[in-house]
Amino acid sequence: MTEANVALDKQLAEPGVSGAPLRQLFETMVRIATWEQRLLQFMSEGHVAAGFYHPGRGHEAIAAGACETLRRDDYIMYDHRGCGHVIAKGVPLTAIFGDFLENVAGSTRGMGAGIVHIADPSVGVLGQSGTLGASFPIAAGAAFSSVYRGTDQVCVCFFGDGTANRGPFHEAANAASLWKLPVIWICENNGWAISTSVEQSTSVADLTLRAAGYGMPGVRIDGTDVVAVYDAVSEAVTRARRGDGPTLIEATVDRFRGHFMGDSESYRDKRSDAEFSDRDPIVRAERLIEELALMTQEDMQRLRSSIRQEVEAAAVEALAAPKPSRERIFEGLYK
Amino acid sequence: MTEVTYEARQAEGASTRQLSFAEAIREALAEELERDEAVFLMGEDIGAFGGVFGVTSGLHARFGSRRVVDTPISETFIVGGAVGAAITGLRPVVELQFADFAAVAMDELALKAAAWRYMHGGLFDVPLVVRMPEGAIGGAGPEQSQCPEGLFSNVPGLHVVVPSTPADAKGLLKSAIRSDDPVLFFEHKVLYKQRGPIPDGEHLVPIGVADVKRQGDDVTIVAWARMVQLALDAAERLVADGVSVEVVDPRGLRPLDQDTIISSVKKTGRAVIVHEASRVGGPGAEVAAVLAEHALPWLAAPIVRVGAEDVPLPQSAHLEQFVIPNVDDVIAAVRRVMGHA
Repeated sequence: MTEANVALDKQLAEPGVSGAPLRQLFETMVRIATWEQRLLQFMSEGHVAAGFYHPGRGHEAIAAGACETLRRDDYIMYDHRGCGHVIAKGVPLTAIFGDFLENVAGSTRGMGAGIVHIADPSVGVLGQSGTLGASFPIAAGAAFSSVYRGTDQVCVCFFGDGTANRGPFHEAANAASLWKLPVIWICENNGWAISTSVEQSTSVADLTLRAAGYGMPGVRIDGTDVVAVYDAVSEAVTRARRGDGPTLIEATVDRFRGHFMGDSESYRDKRSDAEFSDRDPIVRAERLIEELALMTQEDMQRLRSSIRQEVEAAAVEALAAPKPSRERIFEGLYK
Repeated sequence: MTEVTYEARQAEGASTRQLSFAEAIREALAEELERDEAVFLMGEDIGAFGGVFGVTSGLHARFGSRRVVDTPISETFIVGGAVGAAITGLRPVVELQFADFAAVAMDELALKAAAWRYMHGGLFDVPLVVRMPEGAIGGAGPEQSQCPEGLFSNVPGLHVVVPSTPADAKGLLKSAIRSDDPVLFFEHKVLYKQRGPIPDGEHLVPIGVADVKRQGDDVTIVAWARMVQLALDAAERLVADGVSVEVVDPRGLRPLDQDTIISSVKKTGRAVIVHEASRVGGPGAEVAAVLAEHALPWLAAPIVRVGAEDVPLPQSAHLEQFVIPNVDDVIAAVRRVMGHA
């Protein structure tokens, strides 16, 4: 067990000790899940094609916990399990809806960025690669850039357990550790790469074992525990900012839904959300908040209702925006 | 577009500095490193060692290891990392040790560098230059001898630049470094030691503008990189036959300066396209198609393409010479379009 694990266990044994802003983390997770629920409604209404969305239900704590530790000018390369990362990093909800609706309200002004190419440099969202694993070297390059420019910005690179097996990780992780670049590699291990299980595809059961091969710490956490995520990423960010280089964090979670909406999931036993409840990061945070008496059930209901209104307003605004005209296809290719 | 001819510049060369192609590239790199703090170099063995072809020699000593960065053997990281640096405010100039290694970093070149700005709605600049030594040098084999620029003609978002003279190399590289778009910069290895005149002072050559390297009336040869010298040598030898050859160097394939090529062929009525890459599916096909679309009624003879045989480059230097085009091949092609074959 690494030092980080020990520290983490200690903090979890005494939840009141952690500095995690639990109320804020809960709010962000509810916003992520509520946003996704509204997107699914767009799909059932026929506004958005279902097959290109990879729902993130169950993963909310990773995005919320990690991004809460970051500054506005820190970078993220997100993965395409849900839209939690970009929501937590501060991309306006309307812009994210607009990207799915393929209209000019989107962050990409109508390019139909969907789950892969939402971007917003003003909050450090650098976009994403549709070829899995190509984000690794780009994240290392962004971290190189902050060192070169003499800032202390860090870059968090989120990826799934499936992508963990891609070759670019080796080149990027080697360079990042060699040069002590401020990167935090966060693997969201939900056990499945579409229909292929981790057991079928991966040489080690514990992905953090790979960290030693690059001379960086590896920290395995319960990715449904938002406090654990916040604490582990905080420590990794502090380490990165002071010039001690990258950390590999593996956060274990459950993927509540299929890979895409409409996935038959013939490869695994289907479970209802209720059956996932012990692995539901939002339910878990709710229990903890009650236990610590940070909010009452009534407070939480009020918060949920206010977020529903916020999401609905964003949905209505986004839906009203027009699709771009043909000229859009020729814009933005060259400066 | 420049009105100065190749001969005029050669004559002028007597009174200007002479540099080798490699020295011209080094001078461009040094000037841009000096001019802009955001510019840095990254690649394998490019630091104190100076690169396997010596192109970056002395730059590490002058600019230090922050600006001239030796990397692990990691083409995917070199290009992908450069994309990450470029979208966050730097201007990386990276070297792939051999242009053939583009295949290793193809995703990074064709889908990341090329498409990052477009697929993210134009939100990012990608001011990135990838320098790639290319071409057959006698025995380097199929994975260290190719001229892969044609592969990237089909990749929107990139600029593809292929200089043939030291002056063009310097001026085009400086323009490439100042561009906010990704530029693939191909340097033929045989040219590295060839010398030519370099204009004094700030010298910039715009990307996507062809240069007429020799004026003529009967045949247009479109050629780039090392093939320009072959075309000029062929033109010189064909004077004896009474054939007047014009040599057009597009100096790059993307954007392709169609206007200069088309107007030259409309003038001469005959076209020969010469490149070192394989003829089948090679970049000459695009040039031929442009001419077929825009200049067919002006053509007095079918277009002829000269390129490598349709095989990988053999490792044997002896066999290599039978694969890539030589001056005799160019002369034979010109005679064919002249009806003398």
